[in-house]
Amino acid sequence: MVDRPLDEAELVERARHGDLEAWETLVRTYQGIAFRTAYLLAGNAADAEEAAQDGFLKAQRALGRFRRGAALRPWLLRIVANEARNRRRSAGRRERLVLRAAVESRLGDAVPSPEAALVAREDQERLLAAVERLPDGHRDAIACRYFLELSEEETAAALGVRRGTVKSRLARSLARLRESLEDEA
Amino acid sequence: MSSLEQRLQALGRELAFPPEPDLAVRPRSASRPFPWRWVALAAAVVALAAAFAVPSARTSILRFFHIEGATVERVETLPAAQERSSAGGLGRRVSLEVAERSLGFRLLLPPLESKPPAYVLDGVLATVILRVDGHPALLSEYAARDFALLKKSVGEKTLVEPVRVAGERGLWVEGAPHTLTYFDESGQFQERTVKIRGNVLLWTHGPVTVRLEGKLSKAQALRAARRIR
Repeated sequence: MVDRPLDEAELVERARHGDLEAWETLVRTYQGIAFRTAYLLAGNAADAEEAAQDGFLKAQRALGRFRRGAALRPWLLRIVANEARNRRRSAGRRERLVLRAAVESRLGDAVPSPEAALVAREDQERLLAAVERLPDGHRDAIACRYFLELSEEETAAALGVRRGTVKSRLARSLARLRESLEDEA
Repeated sequence: MSSLEQRLQALGRELAFPPEPDLAVRPRSASRPFPWRWVALAAAVVALAAAFAVPSARTSILRFFHIEGATVERVETLPAAQERSSAGGLGRRVSLEVAERSLGFRLLLPPLESKPPAYVLDGVLATVILRVDGHPALLSEYAARDFALLKKSVGEKTLVEPVRVAGERGLWVEGAPHTLTYFDESGQFQERTVKIRGNVLLWTHGPVTVRLEGKLSKAQALRAARRIR
């Protein structure tokens, strides 16, 4: 008998039948993207952690209703994001998103001049500020689709809206961002 | 993808996210607001078990079993139970018709010569007292929601066995104390250790979670459950 990694469907099936280790493997697989999604939607780390924790707990308890053969990630993101959006509604101001303090250059990367790095950094900060000025629904769509690189289907699941709504929000948001950046230029 | 979309994607990779927590190892206790109506249901669940005890420390979860509306966890060690007498608490005694109107669904019952009264708590949990093969038994029903309202923890000496009742998923829980987790008045997760006086069969029937408790063997409980519809 040859050991092999369990695929997602097998892990889900095992978790459905009470295998806690299988469930923990699934949690660890998706906790990163789930937490970042919760953070962008809830607006602060504490609420995001609680939302992710409660979301996974609810998902574990609802595994019996998870459709066999369906993709687990959008299903988990929908549950966690719903928890995060509920907390966002009840919480106060959202924390401002910030860029990482330093960009580590990787081996083989072209090292930019200090001037070029400064300009690039300012461009990024302008773009981030423009995103933050968008209405919440549009800002969340941009955050999920581009910052987190979720698919349109996953973005729709995370925001609790139809895929068509995601498309239209993205289109309007991109248009507004272009206008905003042109005005500043 | 347009250049703006590419810039947004690149921007996302430069965002400073807080450190990612390890969610797989967290104890399942958290404070959160919770609708008051479940509090009464939780109290009823405890009342059904007929005894309270002290809050307990959490132990490692070895395995869990789940059906809609209820979860049973097997843990390494159960905390010591401190019994105290029950004060009833099944709820208001009403006719079956009133109970069904209150809960919004038809109560599942075995064929009976006459309609028994029902005990309804806060419009969400109904209990009927039956006799099964000469033994008194409590038949409780509630509509399962998005997640388990009733969570039991059991030790090694308690048998927990997945069963089928009329094709639906169920759990047979036999012997030894169970720990219940439920929401208390302040909306916090609370644990109470309770000693079940008999064995418990839990199963679902559509959107309803059904619980039959009494000094019944598995065969007796399953036979009774199949007649409950």
